[in-house]
Amino acid sequence: MKKFNEIAVFGQKLMAHSNIDEVLVLIADEAKRLVGAERCSLFIVDAENALLWTKISDGLERIVVGLESGIVGDTYTKACAQIVNNPYEDERFLPHIDKKTGYVTCNIITVPIYNSKRKIMGIMQLLNKSEADFTQDDVEFLTFYANYISGSLELVMMQEEN
Amino acid sequence: MIKMQDKRFAKLADFGRELLTKASLEDGLPLISKYVKDVVGADRCSIFIYNAKEHRLWTTIAEGVERIEVDVQEGVVGHTIRTQEPIITNDAYAHPHFLPKIDKETGYKTHNLITAPIFDSKRIIIGVLELLNKEGGFNEEDVKFMKFFAHYISGFLELVSIYEKV
Repeated sequence: MKKFNEIAVFGQKLMAHSNIDEVLVLIADEAKRLVGAERCSLFIVDAENALLWTKISDGLERIVVGLESGIVGDTYTKACAQIVNNPYEDERFLPHIDKKTGYVTCNIITVPIYNSKRKIMGIMQLLNKSEADFTQDDVEFLTFYANYISGSLELVMMQEEN
Repeated sequence: MIKMQDKRFAKLADFGRELLTKASLEDGLPLISKYVKDVVGADRCSIFIYNAKEHRLWTTIAEGVERIEVDVQEGVVGHTIRTQEPIITNDAYAHPHFLPKIDKETGYKTHNLITAPIFDSKRIIIGVLELLNKEGGFNEEDVKFMKFFAHYISGFLELVSIYEKV
């Protein structure tokens, strides 16, 4: 329950920002803190170009993948959260991103983020939970969290387009 | 595409911040109702919560009137739940799903109305947002705003219902 109290406080902070870069950083930082993961990437869906891209990725370069590539793409295609606790044994995993960034991914969780038209507008991905593997509880919690932040995210994305 | 020229979106973040200072449905719903009526220009707002087990909907807020309860098979609100789509009508009495008996009970005359479904994070329908009587009638921009707004407040509604269950 403490987590949910913290979320309400976080929500107020989030709505004080109207810059998309700041909003994405806030959402990612809070997600990491809540779940105890080391990294968080927010992939934005570009349906027109069939791409998923990150604006920030925790100090990493911008990552761009095909809409159906990797575990993130599979989250989009299946419209379903994914847990992968052994990525190097998962054929969907894209090891070349680790190679490029020099980061070693040990476990992954992803959840879709829906907009008000009930379409997937983004994917939230968390990497490397420190204490243990990702669990179904994490999926449920992040599903709630993804919806909670989705209104603010949609609003700043609309502002960005204009 | 929603136009940002639609100045209703500009104040949404301020509204959102204030909403999140409310820790219960009782405190939050009047704020939601007041805000959405003001920005859309409607006379009344009802927020119906859907109980899927009992196939019923009831208002948690509907100003000036007693609690309204309807079956999911009834009325424009029930129809919104069944189709999971907004309804707009500028001639309420001519709409096939309109229930005149509620006006009779409340003594309020509905001329036009708009509804939008509210979904939770699991994309299950949890309620309906309804506005009544806009001068000049509701339009397609209002539908877009209602869809956006219903989604925007869904996180708050879900959070406080988690609180209230505990």
